[in-house]
Amino acid sequence: MSKTFIQKILEKKSGKELEEGEITFVEPDYILTHDNTAAISQKLAQIKERIKVKYPDRIVIVLDHVIPAASEKTANNHKIIREFVKEQNIEHFYDIGKGICHQVLPEMGLAVPGSIVVGSDSHTCTYGAFSVFSTGIDRTEAAGIWVTGQTWFKLPRTFKITLTGKLQKHVTAKDLILKIIKDIGADGANYRAVEYHGDGISNLTIPQRMTIANMAIEMGAKSSAFPVDDRTRKWLKEAGVEDYGEIWADKDAQYEKEYNYNLNKIEPMVAFPHSVDNGKPICEAEGIKVDQCFLGTCTNGRLEDLELAASILEAKKIHPDIRFIVGAASQKIYQKAMNNGTIQKLVKSGAVIIPPGCGPCLGAHQGAMAAGEKTLSTANRNFKGRMGNKDSFIYLASPATAAATALKGKITDPRKI
Amino acid sequence: MQKDVILNGRIWLITNDKGELINDIDTDMIFHNQYLTITDLDEMGQYTFDNLEGWKDFADKALKDDIIVVGDNFGAGSSRQQAVDCFKSLAVQAIIAKSFGAIYKRNAINSGLPILVLDSIDLNNIENREMVEFDLENGETDHNAINIEPFSKVQMDIYQAGNLFAYGKNIK
Repeated sequence: MSKTFIQKILEKKSGKELEEGEITFVEPDYILTHDNTAAISQKLAQIKERIKVKYPDRIVIVLDHVIPAASEKTANNHKIIREFVKEQNIEHFYDIGKGICHQVLPEMGLAVPGSIVVGSDSHTCTYGAFSVFSTGIDRTEAAGIWVTGQTWFKLPRTFKITLTGKLQKHVTAKDLILKIIKDIGADGANYRAVEYHGDGISNLTIPQRMTIANMAIEMGAKSSAFPVDDRTRKWLKEAGVEDYGEIWADKDAQYEKEYNYNLNKIEPMVAFPHSVDNGKPICEAEGIKVDQCFLGTCTNGRLEDLELAASILEAKKIHPDIRFIVGAASQKIYQKAMNNGTIQKLVKSGAVIIPPGCGPCLGAHQGAMAAGEKTLSTANRNFKGRMGNKDSFIYLASPATAAATALKGKITDPRKI
Repeated sequence: MQKDVILNGRIWLITNDKGELINDIDTDMIFHNQYLTITDLDEMGQYTFDNLEGWKDFADKALKDDIIVVGDNFGAGSSRQQAVDCFKSLAVQAIIAKSFGAIYKRNAINSGLPILVLDSIDLNNIENREMVEFDLENGETDHNAINIEPFSKVQMDIYQAGNLFAYGKNIK
């Protein structure tokens, strides 16, 4: 019988044939946690003398959410985590400044095609860009996997999305995924896996695929996956990943639903407050005055995102009423963007650079909003109050739209710059 | 000790101003990010739904053993544990939804908080604060206007063990 990607990967890991809806226990290859590790380790704290984590080499911890520490409380959390890392001999620990977990983990060569990565962060699905089955879990579960090494999955049904053609100038993968989420809905792919197919994939860079995979959870999907191609192999080789078995769906696999997108026809999209599936073509958003533009996050803080913004700004000054906040997704990207002059160009235009981390995306610090204010953000979520104030408004869009909007002070179609 | 598979509680129909069950209640509406530094269970309850239009006073109204009934995609969004634990903090007994966000569902199951999928509901014939009995094992209720789906096996096993953590220790 022909099989989907997710079926093959779960069967390989559980060592048996599975039927749709069947529950199986597997051992994930890596378990990611971030600043919330402190809270998770407290679950172990009561029984500390007896409990050791089962596989210290499978635990990945990245401090990225509130870095550098913004308060006594976050500083204490970081301290608890550093102590835990030492005590348990955690191998993959990345302290503040290294970057956002979903960028750092692949950069460190831990996103290996055909593997399973779970993380106590909903955007763990990002590694689907590398043919990894990756998905968000909860904290109780993370503590459980630390101790036992395993967890359960139910073999989900799969949606197939076929991409053809090539994105137009100043139209990005973000516009595509916002369009897909608008069509499928915030819960349209609930408990489903998503596979991307079609010759349009070869026209998407790895960072673009990461943007798309990053937002799978915003349509309710458990995970999404791209096949491995030459671009993937090249990217992984640079991250030191060379030996892996490539797994992909059979040609005649069965899908619950199928969607087709011609990339040539995608236009810039804006997701209006307060839900990610509230996407509209940019013509319906043009002219909306905003107070802040935010370029960065695990969705759109990659080198080509920063370069695209810099090229649209062309060293021109941003609008005087705009705060333009920019953060690279990792230290590596930050350095590259400095070395090739991108950061300088952005600063010259008036951008405020924050350290590589999650920053204002979750409203913790570095760009929280006041009541009534509007931000145009390249992040993945615009829930009410996401960026701090519950009476503020978040519009989601691409790096190109963020740059064009920062320039004009109101939401602007980047194709018109 | 076996846990009860039959729950009795007063229901809260979490509805909007049109009287419909609210869909897409996300984790920022359930437990807003400004309180995420809270890790003490006892402190969490007071902030439950404090960003949900029409239900900001829920924490004051909720009583021990209450059961909440919501629409589709409950708990969409982040993996924050507080969005599950705040209900435990209030001693809410169970959450019944038309459907759940994928991570939220795992989170609740793994934490041992009973969550149930609503099979059907007739909002014209059921009132807020009615006492309803739910059988987790075979999905039966003692009220004609509300029907649920039973627990899956893994959900029941984890529920009986307490949570995934305890369950995992047992199978080791």
